[in-house]
Amino acid sequence: MSQAFTKSMARNIFYGGSMFFFLLLLVLTFDTVKSLPQTDNRENLTEQVAKGKHVWENNNCIGCHTLMGEGAYFAPELGNAYKRMGSKEAIIAFIKFRPKNGIPGRRSMPQFNLTDDELDAVAEFLKYVSEINNQDWPPNIQG
Amino acid sequence: MKYTSQMVAKPYFIAAIGLFIGQILFGVIMGMQYVVGDFLFPEIPFNVARMVHTNLLIVWLLFGFMGAAYYMVPDEAETELHSPFLAKLMFWIFLVAGALTILGYLLVPYATLAEITMNDLLPTMGREFLEQPTITKIGIVIVALAFLYNIGMTILKGRKTVINLVLLIGLVGLAVFFLFSFYNPDNIVLDKMFWWFVVHLWVEGVWELILGSLLAYVLIKTTGVDREVIEKWLYVIIAMALITGLIGTGHHFFWIGTPGYWQWWGSIFSALEPIPFFMMTIFAFNMVNKRRRQHPNKPAVLWALGTAVMAFLGAGVWGFLHTLSFVNYYTHGTQITAAHGHMAFYGAYVMIVLAIISYAMPMLNGRKAANSQLSQIVEMWSFWLMTISMVFITLFLTGAGIVQVYLQRMSDAPLPFMVVQDKIELFYWLREGAGIIFLIGLIVYVASFFVGRDQPEVELPK
Amino acid sequence: MLYATGFFFNIGNEKLTKVMKYPPGDLAIWIFIMAELLVFGLFFASYAVTRIDNIELFEFYQQSLDRRAALWNTLALISSSYFVVQAVLAINRARQQQAFIFMLLALLMGLVFMAIKTQEFAHHIDQGITLSTNTFYMFYLSMAFFHYLHVALGLIVLAVLANNIRKGCYSQHDYNGLESGASYWHMVDLVWIILFPLVYVM
Repeated sequence: MSQAFTKSMARNIFYGGSMFFFLLLLVLTFDTVKSLPQTDNRENLTEQVAKGKHVWENNNCIGCHTLMGEGAYFAPELGNAYKRMGSKEAIIAFIKFRPKNGIPGRRSMPQFNLTDDELDAVAEFLKYVSEINNQDWPPNIQG
Repeated sequence: MKYTSQMVAKPYFIAAIGLFIGQILFGVIMGMQYVVGDFLFPEIPFNVARMVHTNLLIVWLLFGFMGAAYYMVPDEAETELHSPFLAKLMFWIFLVAGALTILGYLLVPYATLAEITMNDLLPTMGREFLEQPTITKIGIVIVALAFLYNIGMTILKGRKTVINLVLLIGLVGLAVFFLFSFYNPDNIVLDKMFWWFVVHLWVEGVWELILGSLLAYVLIKTTGVDREVIEKWLYVIIAMALITGLIGTGHHFFWIGTPGYWQWWGSIFSALEPIPFFMMTIFAFNMVNKRRRQHPNKPAVLWALGTAVMAFLGAGVWGFLHTLSFVNYYTHGTQITAAHGHMAFYGAYVMIVLAIISYAMPMLNGRKAANSQLSQIVEMWSFWLMTISMVFITLFLTGAGIVQVYLQRMSDAPLPFMVVQDKIELFYWLREGAGIIFLIGLIVYVASFFVGRDQPEVELPK
Repeated sequence: MLYATGFFFNIGNEKLTKVMKYPPGDLAIWIFIMAELLVFGLFFASYAVTRIDNIELFEFYQQSLDRRAALWNTLALISSSYFVVQAVLAINRARQQQAFIFMLLALLMGLVFMAIKTQEFAHHIDQGITLSTNTFYMFYLSMAFFHYLHVALGLIVLAVLANNIRKGCYSQHDYNGLESGASYWHMVDLVWIILFPLVYVM
């Protein structure tokens, strides 16, 4: 034969292999979704926590921070912020008292003008996230 | 250029470059904010600059893919585009929707943007790279469907080459996986898990099919190597991409609240994800070495070879460095991630779009096959300026990342995030310097379209 | 090693006298085979390394595996591979009908493997064992299930090969596709031959 491999064999491996691994991905995804209740702390997923997630999204916190390591790298990891700051009150105070024009020369966090309920919700959300079983990440309290 | 409808690619390519310039301007702003923390605060806070930077990147790459398809598909299918009018209409819709979205990011607080775009009806905002208002996302789906319809109908009525089919599968996959951006559950773990069905299955999945088909097309055109050889290697490369990349999604499921078995499945499969990029590099260099003719368009060949190398380094090597779970435990969410992300995106996707533009633009501008000698030289200068500066951006961020990982994650007395950021400031200044050179390279690139326009094109003796 | 095995089974094959530049079958399938062996190899290595730190756990739960069933499975796969080899030899000798029978026998032995293995998995599922139960079961279920899927794909391949033989697609001088499929099946067999002692016995 004049060639080592044929286009049709390569094509078959592409289609067969892709379908095979796509199916396997579906199986593993299905198992993962089924197992999530064991790790995702959903028993504490209250309405206030869900509201807090909306506050988190509507103010694009992920645009500067990471949450469980994902997001932007400008500001600290917040997945364990509840543990690091010690209380909901500490979290609320930090967000509430950000100066409108920032801190001269330092990386600055906007003043979001959140209502007291929104502040409570986002703190509740961060508390909830800190209790998710995510395989012992981050390595230490600094995030 | 054999088919007049290929001309619709031109506005797409011009928009792509225009948005690329915007992306880099905001990149330079962000780089400045890393070291002068309140630069442009509060008018343009960091997160706003960032969402403009990343969204412009994605949109200009999409313009590039669409332009590439409109140029390539009629040529490969050997028939005119099904509806040039639809292509032009979608161009303006996408451009205007994109521009309005970016203006929305810049002109009003994000929470206000969410309110005025009625995000509450179907909340999809506030996730990384998916900051677009829900109505914009719906617009993207409509534009994508129209685009797929147009391209699909063209392929249906013409020659169904492997390149066309692989490109189509990649583009359909792009559209299908984008639908996951509409799924935003209250459960943050589920949210994060399926977010990766967009991001990973795009850039480490179906986008690799698009990359492969564009690269194969440019290689066929510039080397004259037999189509059969190039197409069968394309199949092998994309087979390896999906075989490794589908389960490789698991390397994003280490620390987000999903079961622990992903640390094994994700590490093993994603460790093999460099294989298709390695094959692409061998493939590109081999084809060029075996070429049957010299093509007068030197920059196009340079971009094609460059994309294979940089994709392998940025996506393959830098990706591998932090993909194993026991390494990632310490490097997750650090400047190591940023280093990998920049070189990977530049190598795999920025460069292939620039390669196809480099190949097609001369002909869209009325040339036979290539630009003038002067234009080519200027363009090749821009290649080296952008590519070398990107390597340095990556090296500086890697340096920053190593120090950050050590001080913040590994040392016996881990330091707080902000303290560590202060300590690695020098790396950020150096990165900004490299970023400025990148911007200069981009300006030189744009200049290459304007210099030597009146000079004759390069023609090689038969 | 695989190539040598294939080579050994080519006794009587005219190719023995020629210098073979490429392994039997299409090179594309060999790229795929190498990638698969790499994945399984990484799994096996990970298992072996993890076992060192979890000896008690691994030895305890290993007892819960059905060694007898696994032994039958090993015999089933080895004989299936034997029949595949015989089918290839038959085509080489232009014995089309014989090749078809051998391929059907190979398919049958493969189905025996699937039946036994399915029963094993059903038993585990009944007991509520999942990938998240413990590290031993995570490895055992991952590797066994991943292999199981490869056997399933292999059966489809064998069925296609059998049908192709019946249609006369292969001749004495050109049976590249047959050797490609056969090589894939031999890989599946080889993986089991390592998996069985590693996970069930050692």
